[in-house]
Amino acid sequence: MLPELYMPKLTKIRNIRSENQANDIKTFELVFNNQEDLEEFNYIPGQFAELSILGKGECPIGIASSPTEPDSLKFTVKRMGTVTTAMHDSKEEDIVGIRGPFGNGWPIEDMKNKNIVIIGGGFAFSTLRSLTEYLIHESNRSEYGNITVIYGNRNPGELLYEPEIERWKKRDDLNIYLTIDQEAEGWSGMVGYVAPVVKEISPSPDDSIATVCGPPIMIKTTIDVLKELGFSSEQILNSLEMRMKCGVGKCGRCNIGNKYVCIDGPVFSLKELEDMPDEY
Amino acid sequence: MVEKKLEKIIFKQDLDRLFEESLKDFTVYGPIEKKGNIVFEKIDKSDNLKLNYLNSKIPPKSVIFPQTETLFEYEKKDDEIIFKESNNVGKKRIIFGIRPCDAHSFTLLETFFSFGKFEDDLFLKKRENTILIGIGCNTPKNTCFCTSVNGHPFKDDDVDIFLVDLTEKYLVTPISDRGKELIEGISWLNNANKNDLKKSVELANNAESAIETNLNLDNISEKLDNNFYNSLWKEISEVCIGCGTCAFLCPTCHCFDVIDEEDHYNNRGRRVRIWDTCQFPLYTLHTSGHNPRSSRIQRCRNRILHKFCYYPQNYDLIGCVGCGRCIQYCPVNNDIRVILDKFQKLSEEEEEKLLVA
Repeated sequence: MLPELYMPKLTKIRNIRSENQANDIKTFELVFNNQEDLEEFNYIPGQFAELSILGKGECPIGIASSPTEPDSLKFTVKRMGTVTTAMHDSKEEDIVGIRGPFGNGWPIEDMKNKNIVIIGGGFAFSTLRSLTEYLIHESNRSEYGNITVIYGNRNPGELLYEPEIERWKKRDDLNIYLTIDQEAEGWSGMVGYVAPVVKEISPSPDDSIATVCGPPIMIKTTIDVLKELGFSSEQILNSLEMRMKCGVGKCGRCNIGNKYVCIDGPVFSLKELEDMPDEY
Repeated sequence: MVEKKLEKIIFKQDLDRLFEESLKDFTVYGPIEKKGNIVFEKIDKSDNLKLNYLNSKIPPKSVIFPQTETLFEYEKKDDEIIFKESNNVGKKRIIFGIRPCDAHSFTLLETFFSFGKFEDDLFLKKRENTILIGIGCNTPKNTCFCTSVNGHPFKDDDVDIFLVDLTEKYLVTPISDRGKELIEGISWLNNANKNDLKKSVELANNAESAIETNLNLDNISEKLDNNFYNSLWKEISEVCIGCGTCAFLCPTCHCFDVIDEEDHYNNRGRRVRIWDTCQFPLYTLHTSGHNPRSSRIQRCRNRILHKFCYYPQNYDLIGCVGCGRCIQYCPVNNDIRVILDKFQKLSEEEEEKLLVA
């Protein structure tokens, strides 16, 4: 028997886009070999999948595309370990295995009629890209209130998704603020760490939900600012990363207390995190 | 209504007939002695079988959840990848002579692997095709504590057929429907008499009273939950060397790693799962270098809490069967009974003492 739970579905790489100057972050566009597999892959923003390079292994990666972008899936991958390095060594038309979608994803139903503040730092923006694309899609935009995107990077060369961001900037139903850590030549956006920039922009907590993704220190400082602005712990959402193998709550390692990040998360409200042990 | 159980007996000298005639359609695994330990291995006759064993070192969960298990094999052909199965899921197995504690671990593993939206079809199919023939423990060890965790040396409800060693013969009690069916098909077994049943009850009572440990585990889940940050964890983990023996020999531990093995020059390979343990720092190490359980305090705590706090919270079950292997084989004599007892007996004052971060 081929164990269905652990069998990757096969895809081919349609396109590879380098996302940063350091060239260690790339977005892979994957197309399923079988149409049925595509039809069965029903996902929402914030979910993840297990990507396989057969012979190298498998690793969990957040889905960067939005379900409103049909036909293919996008994953933004930083070259870090064995599998991600093998991904980076791949070329178009190469085979990538995929299992998923896994995890709870952003609570897009509960976010309806709310103002959405999307805050990202560095390359942790991938599932926020998915969320942003989803929210501004013509079939969804009217369901949500004001949308504010605040995205910070160390320097302009690390900014992901430039074509998308250029498109977002042209819209009048989306406020986007880009910031970098220090002044740089040719940079016209804001300057400063994400947390003080959020403070400067001061999004209103009224009927709002804030999603925060980024490195731990950025998350911590940003949460402090959001709380100062009056956001409650229920209004602040985070997406966690954890070492994972199976992605389906069986291999054990991604637990925080009695929760598994792979099936109970990766998205948790700050309120939930405050009630969980400090093991993430 | 008291259901008629139709107890039978089998004389010890007839065991070969049982294996050779009546169970020949199954692959039978039983406890045999090897290199000074008991192991569950394939048997086809009773020669090496050692049914008066205390317990096996490696738990019999390994028969259907082996330390290394192939999930699938693959072959790369031109631009294609072809998957091949490699796991004998359909094999009809019998685990003969499993102890009640280990049989109960099968129930726990079944609950875990079928829990939630995702079912581990590989484990569950193997479990479905495996018949458990258990045997009561006439002489429990001093590390046994099954009676403290809802078990009993003669607990028979996790097996299909239950045996009791009556010295020159075994009492054979069919428990499940398929156990009954199997026994009904063996025409040459004699019916048990009143004395056999009486002796079995006596043995059960003797075994129960031979277990010296009597832990009070009332509300242990809440107690552990409330004392997550208690400084007692530091004391408990101080002697631990992080070898992972407790987890690798645990009948209820189910965590695994998944790796690929590639035969590069022949364009083929396989993906395997391998037992893993929360006692190793690598288990939770992120590729970034961050480790959410970087200290031994955290790792020791996770093992105890998984069994006695998270398992009860998630599945309303205690994740321990009281087999005592983790106590018997721990190289530094860490004793799970002592650990639980210490938490149970924390005074209000002691509950205030927290770990310093």
